[in-house]
Amino acid sequence: MKPVKIVQCVDSVEGIFTAVYDAWAMKYGHEFIKLEVIGMDESLNYELFSEYVLVEPDSLKAEKVAKSIRSKISEQAYELVVKAALSSDVRKADAIYHFLVRGFLMGKKVVDNLSDPYVQQIFEMNRFVGNETHFFKGFLRFVELKNGILLGKMEPKSNIVELLTPHFADRFAAENFMIVDMKRGVASIHQRNQEWFMTALEEEQMEALAAYDTEETEYSVLWKAFFKSVAIKERENYNLQRNQVRLRYRKHMTEFQE
Amino acid sequence: MEEKLSILADAAKYDVACTSSGVDRKGKEGSIGSAFQSGICHTFTADGRCVSLLKILFTNECIFDCKYCINRSSNDVKRTTFTPDEVCNLTIEFYRRNYIEGLFLSSGILHSPNYTMDLIYQTLKKLRCEYHFNGYIHCKAIPGADPELIELAGWYADRMSVNLELPTADGLKNLAPHKSRKNILNPIRQIQSGIEESQELLGMSGGNKGAYWHTRRKLEGKTIEQKRKEDAIRYQSTKRIDNTGQLDNTGKLGNVGKLDNAGNLDNTGKLGTLKKKSSIILPGEAEERNWVQSAPTGLSKISQFAGSRGFVPAGQSTQMIIGATPETDFELISVTEALYQKFDLKRVFYSAFIRVNDDSALPVIPGGPPLLREHRLYQADWLLRYYGFMAGELLTKERPNFNVYLDPKCNWALGHLEEFPVEVNKADYYTLLRVPGIGPKSAGRIVKARRMASLNFADLKKLGVVLKRALYFITCDGKMMYPTKIEENYITRQLLNLNEALPKHITNDGMTYEQLSLFQIPNFS
Ligand code: SF4
Repeated sequence: MKPVKIVQCVDSVEGIFTAVYDAWAMKYGHEFIKLEVIGMDESLNYELFSEYVLVEPDSLKAEKVAKSIRSKISEQAYELVVKAALSSDVRKADAIYHFLVRGFLMGKKVVDNLSDPYVQQIFEMNRFVGNETHFFKGFLRFVELKNGILLGKMEPKSNIVELLTPHFADRFAAENFMIVDMKRGVASIHQRNQEWFMTALEEEQMEALAAYDTEETEYSVLWKAFFKSVAIKERENYNLQRNQVRLRYRKHMTEFQE
Repeated sequence: MEEKLSILADAAKYDVACTSSGVDRKGKEGSIGSAFQSGICHTFTADGRCVSLLKILFTNECIFDCKYCINRSSNDVKRTTFTPDEVCNLTIEFYRRNYIEGLFLSSGILHSPNYTMDLIYQTLKKLRCEYHFNGYIHCKAIPGADPELIELAGWYADRMSVNLELPTADGLKNLAPHKSRKNILNPIRQIQSGIEESQELLGMSGGNKGAYWHTRRKLEGKTIEQKRKEDAIRYQSTKRIDNTGQLDNTGKLGNVGKLDNAGNLDNTGKLGTLKKKSSIILPGEAEERNWVQSAPTGLSKISQFAGSRGFVPAGQSTQMIIGATPETDFELISVTEALYQKFDLKRVFYSAFIRVNDDSALPVIPGGPPLLREHRLYQADWLLRYYGFMAGELLTKERPNFNVYLDPKCNWALGHLEEFPVEVNKADYYTLLRVPGIGPKSAGRIVKARRMASLNFADLKKLGVVLKRALYFITCDGKMMYPTKIEENYITRQLLNLNEALPKHITNDGMTYEQLSLFQIPNFS
């Protein structure tokens, strides 16, 4: 039995795609290869008899992988793996690799292969990321800064700022806004009637943003008053409410702040 | 402002139709806002309901005295009224912070129906034209207001609704003495024909019809064009009734009591004599002649608004209060069915009666609002809209209420064992849908999958069929899953043992809100 090679990469689409590229090039035998995102799962034991290979992200290699997926498998498969790469699932890099191994063999039909565990995992991650993106279309809250900029802070499980922003860019075309993932330190910036873009934030910037947390404004007070008024006492059911707005989402939601 | 908002939000909260769904609209240059087809929930209240819209009354200074309503004129509550600019401002600023998906504007009757409707219209116009709001707007059409004002509001709204409130004329007379069926049904009809006309103008062929319409169409095996043509013919004949001139134009119809006799659905033979005195609020054929006359024959402002977002593009809905008056479930779903059939409503909402006023005309329901009953009605409503059931199949005048312990579909299947078992490899989509344990998703998958190969029970499980429910009702290639008694009492007991998963708004911490014994005992011994 050959030892398993564990290919480690950083947590980004580029990182995972680079690892896919390098793992493939090893010609080691796909079943003996495992991909892993570093730092994602603390509980993972160091496997004594495995060989570890750390892969630095490389935009050229990642680019090539992206191109091959689109041309040799399908546009749909490409979207599936990108979304999976944004999920918080510790299995994602490995699932993507083995999904692609099958995809390069079978072509676009790979997505119909629902009894395959890797294909299932990819769909599962997509559902989670898709649902979370949809939740945040509703749950994201903006506060207005002095200069009129709208600041939306969130801490989603998946890395969804980029998936979420088009919704708001369409809706708030004439607004200046930014959506910040407080955990990952990434943000999207939208300027009035311009294309939006993604950016990584420095530590000081993050600290400054964190400070805006609890400031009451005229409208947040009104919103809380409204929120309190619409509950029907006779039907009160906090259990149900907890199911619908998970506690982990509430931190940045105005109506749940003290 | 905070107090005003609290009062007018508190006063509006019993309206249950808080959805932002039904229309897809991209953002627009120079405007703020978009609309998302399936709706977006922005938060959930302490009672677990989705908050999507800024749901407020324009005013609670109401001249009417509906017994069930907290704002009735005889109550001593704090009264206040917004200005149009206040409503616009709140909507925009809440929207910018992503608190809401849009506005739901209802109102008490300030001075007169026309005065109130005009305020609503002015507010909507302002919000769209001066504040450039392109998000979702739901507003009420005020019963008794001029059709012209209602139409004007409809050009700015996405959805409109007129609440039916109570399903029977008697109920309405007793509890909402200032409202009449005529004043409620006329605007519903007006909005319906306006939507039709606007759809034609915008070249939308059925894309925005309700689910009920599409389900019936598919069951009848018709294309969208065929069904629309049929509708057009029916619409024409309605217009003819308008012109026969035999109708009373005094506008007093609602009060003279003539309608109760003429329009009692008993006479159409459809409903029989459920309750001697309570005529179903919806008109039978005879009654229709009496009130339809004042329904306008179309949109009068179409040239002015052509090219806009359309007239009430997300359709209309209504709501009924459940449990304030003694109607049976059968009466309620018959009314619902008629509303879908005749008025092409998008949704009918049900609101479990909450006793906010201490009034001898109102019932006292121990155990609080009848939430389980409300849930059963929503289930049945779903069966009408998506499964192709008719009201008369689900309940009859002999068995006029839903079973507390079984969902309406199981209940139906147990009463119709002669239609089972169904052969999964042959039965059409709508027959499959009638099997307990098979829903729209799994039925669709079955129809697709069996084209490749004949299906067995293991396949069904993979396709999402709940076999422990379905096994009594299906065969795969002629065989049942295992030999079992096909006998009503036996299967009933088996199904009851499976414990239906009731939604959490009914079962709080395992407690059921209602006293189950309030309802009929299930019919098995
Ligand atoms: S019209 Fe009736 S239901 Fe509406 S606010 Fe006035 S009293 Fe309440």
